[in-house]
Amino acid sequence: MTNLITLRDILVISPMIALLVMSLIPVLMKVFSDNKEPKPFVTVVYALLGVILAAGLTLSLAGIKQTAFSEALVFDGMAVWGSLIVLFSGAFALMLAFDHVETDSKQFSEQCFLMLGSMIGMLILILSNDLLVTFLGIEMMSLCLYILVALSREEVLSKEASFKYFILGSFASAIFLYGIALLYGTVGGTSLPVVAAKTGELLTNHNQLFYIGMAMVILGFAFKVSVFPFHSWTPDVYQGASTPITAFMATAVKAATFIAILRLFQHADPSGPSAFLAEPKFLTVLSWLAVLTMMVGNAAAVIQNNFKRILAYSSISHSGYLLVGVITAGFAPRIESSLAASTVVLFYLFSYSLMTIGAFALVAILEKQVGHSLTVDDLKGLSTRNPVLAGSLALILFSLAGVPPSVGFFAKFSLFGSAIEQDLYWLAFWGVLSSVIAVYYYLRPVVAMYMSESTERIELQDGFLTRMALVLTAIATVVFGLASSPVLQFVSESVLNRL
Amino acid sequence: MLSLIVFLPLLAALIVAVLPKESWVRPTAFALAALQFLFSLMLLSKYDPSTPALQLVEFVPWVPALGISYFLGIDGISLWLVLLTTFLLPVVIAGSWTAIDKRSKLFHASLFVLQTAMLGSFVAMDLVLFYVFFELSLVPMYFIVGIWGGARRIYATMKFFIYTMLGSLLMLLAIIYLMFTAQEVLPSRQMTANILELYKLDIPFIAGQFLNPQTLLFFAFSAAFAIKVPMFPVHTWLPDAHVEAPTPGSVVLAGVMLKMGSYGFLRFVIPLFPEAAEHYAWIFLFLGVVGILYGALVAMVQPDIKKLVAYSSVSHMGYVMMGLFALNTYGVTGSLYQMLNHGVSTGALFLLVGMIYERTHSRDIDKYGGLAKVMPIYTILFFIVTLSSIAVPMTNGFVGEFLILLGSFQASKFFGIWAVLGVILGAVYMLWMFKRVFFGQAGELVEDEKHPLHDLGFREIAVMAPLIVLIFWMGLLPNHFLKYSKVSIEHLVETKDAYQLAALDSEGRTVVFELPAKPIRSAVENVTTRVAGVEAK
Repeated sequence: MTNLITLRDILVISPMIALLVMSLIPVLMKVFSDNKEPKPFVTVVYALLGVILAAGLTLSLAGIKQTAFSEALVFDGMAVWGSLIVLFSGAFALMLAFDHVETDSKQFSEQCFLMLGSMIGMLILILSNDLLVTFLGIEMMSLCLYILVALSREEVLSKEASFKYFILGSFASAIFLYGIALLYGTVGGTSLPVVAAKTGELLTNHNQLFYIGMAMVILGFAFKVSVFPFHSWTPDVYQGASTPITAFMATAVKAATFIAILRLFQHADPSGPSAFLAEPKFLTVLSWLAVLTMMVGNAAAVIQNNFKRILAYSSISHSGYLLVGVITAGFAPRIESSLAASTVVLFYLFSYSLMTIGAFALVAILEKQVGHSLTVDDLKGLSTRNPVLAGSLALILFSLAGVPPSVGFFAKFSLFGSAIEQDLYWLAFWGVLSSVIAVYYYLRPVVAMYMSESTERIELQDGFLTRMALVLTAIATVVFGLASSPVLQFVSESVLNRL
Repeated sequence: MLSLIVFLPLLAALIVAVLPKESWVRPTAFALAALQFLFSLMLLSKYDPSTPALQLVEFVPWVPALGISYFLGIDGISLWLVLLTTFLLPVVIAGSWTAIDKRSKLFHASLFVLQTAMLGSFVAMDLVLFYVFFELSLVPMYFIVGIWGGARRIYATMKFFIYTMLGSLLMLLAIIYLMFTAQEVLPSRQMTANILELYKLDIPFIAGQFLNPQTLLFFAFSAAFAIKVPMFPVHTWLPDAHVEAPTPGSVVLAGVMLKMGSYGFLRFVIPLFPEAAEHYAWIFLFLGVVGILYGALVAMVQPDIKKLVAYSSVSHMGYVMMGLFALNTYGVTGSLYQMLNHGVSTGALFLLVGMIYERTHSRDIDKYGGLAKVMPIYTILFFIVTLSSIAVPMTNGFVGEFLILLGSFQASKFFGIWAVLGVILGAVYMLWMFKRVFFGQAGELVEDEKHPLHDLGFREIAVMAPLIVLIFWMGLLPNHFLKYSKVSIEHLVETKDAYQLAALDSEGRTVVFELPAKPIRSAVENVTTRVAGVEAK
């Protein structure tokens, strides 16, 4: 082991460096020009450039598995696709934020800086091969988010939301860290491969400390992705934060954290069975968490009227579906099926991010006009007033509900497919059942848009980037649905590079 | 050819959607639908009725890693359903000329998208592709009922969507399970959703035990299709949807969409799970009979004409289900014929109800009476359709019901007897309704002097004419239609335990299904062998 930092190490973190540099430029410009806010357009261009640069660097590095910083970071297929999902969600969130900024904040350069900073944390989280680094990533991501949530000036609830998020998030982080300490005590290291290698043995020996440590680590993750029963902060925070930030949290944060969870469950021994299979109780507990998350998320969304809260509960329920994918990957007896299931989780994250960003884009467009938080009733008659927006949202909602041939359908199809392949029939059954509940609340906005007459007329102002985000995501739901095959194939091949 | 037939309506939907003037929409839509129908008639000349094989096959891998393909084909079972779909659309558009007065662009675009989805489900020979079309059909119907429907339209359309989705998601699980079974069992070791490959599976079946693969799969598929048909006791969405739907929506719903359910039984459930189908046939015969009697009895007491017709649909579809699960040539042939009959005569009934509703905005039977004096042409047409609906000889209904009863008696005398009782009840509720609406004391709407009723105009007669012709044509010369389906049905009934279909492309060559070039699994295997090799060192 050497302490030298090689060029390879720098290359692996070059996307993060690109993000950091580009996020600093607008802030520095502000500092050097007497605290005068640079033009929002300039800021957003720098930020988007940073994201594009990071994505380009990620892509150009793709193809080979590399580790960096004494194996603390690992750059493999999963990292590439995870980073791309995060970067692309982040880019859309930036686009939404740009249109939102005129009314919302005079601190746009800081906001962009924080968003990019949070994305750096996510990239660390995705690349992390060591629990301590994972913790760093989570903290970096979350600290930026706490401020971002509080930044919204218009929304009274944002301070409350930020505080709630901060307190609960700190508890979760502390528990996570305590879990790492316990794992370190039992395993003798925090590196994920080391943990994975010892997991089977410790579980077979019924090492209580290891059990508790693992449970605490999972709990920490579960909080971040709002898995039942650690989900209750989600609707409040999603409602309180300004919409671009909500979109950012619902997509990028979830993607990054789920990939970190996948890494925790990776196989230690490529030819052997999953280490977690040694203790079926973990499977039982996680399965129940997944089922309850799906059911609670979907059932609670049914009675909501606030559109952002509906999306928040929908995001909770999607965490449940994703957890099904993670369980499938984590408890697969063979590494092939585990990797195939990981691919499916990635694909699901991608499709989920696409649809969620689109839905929040519409919220961002409309809420400015209605002047209060958007309810389903505000959507009434939208199809006659603005057919393009209504059509796009309808496409996205049908995709969220899993109607073919949208990308949402193919994501669910592959997800339940991989669950059935592992004989996890009950999980698939509950997943299907809760999707039927979900149909109801996903269709309510469609009913409002197409089947009710509008009571009031809302003049829509322009917000070009936001509109573009909405229309682009809507088209993408259909295009990627029909072309899901090449995408899945491509992703799975690069994920296989993990070996 | 088949792709064109399936996707031309989608093109038509686009054309209609971008038309600059609302007033152009109806003529354009009608012309496009009529052209589409004429084009689809070419199928009759291309189709070779002498072989049970799947014809005009088109096969392109779609998601090779999962064995999903874009696979279309047509045989004697789907041929007439395709033609029924293309035939009803221009009729529906002409019939709704004045009924749809708002957002007619969106309406006609929805109709065309719906047509694509329905045609697609009749010719898709890949389970996932079928599922895609099957589910896609919900979306336009959801809009048609929800936007242009009656007062309780939103309740009705939500109920329709969620009911149907619940059933089909269960089927989706079953489809995924089948695809994995194929991977384990078939010699190619590939996942596949190709229905011809899946027919080769021999799925384990244990009679009398519920938790075995074939039984579970059978019920998962049946749930989806039974809801769609709809069978008693999952029929409750149908009266709601029918009553609230606008006339064209009702016609398409009754005429074609319900057939997607019974077609599913015939195409997928019976050949894929033959043992389970035979073992549990009594359930379907029983529910079929209950549906016939229940539908008829409930129809009898309906005060609303449209609801009466909706319940008569439940009753008629009960016959279709009985015929299918009689599992003999008579029954299945009768079922297929009854599907077409029901499409024609119930479609005609809904159109007629729609015509009177446009004039009076009421469907209460009590408010009518003595209509025969005021609207003689309407009365004659309604009477002919009524006769067809109660299966009087020389009309199409007779042929279908007779064959079904023949088949049911062969399968089970007990159920056969009850089904015959249903025929009588059918005559009772239809004729009683006819008497109350058309004869006797003139009702308040009929004698209302401020709003005198006009008899049918030229357009309305022109809309009904092809339907009336078909009623007699199908009743007098059933062989013109049945000869195309005979071989396919006989093949299905005789070999259902080891059902196989050949596939011929449009030039009559046998199609060989190429294995996907580079499936995920084999890539994984390569990696595993690589890892194993590394470890060996």
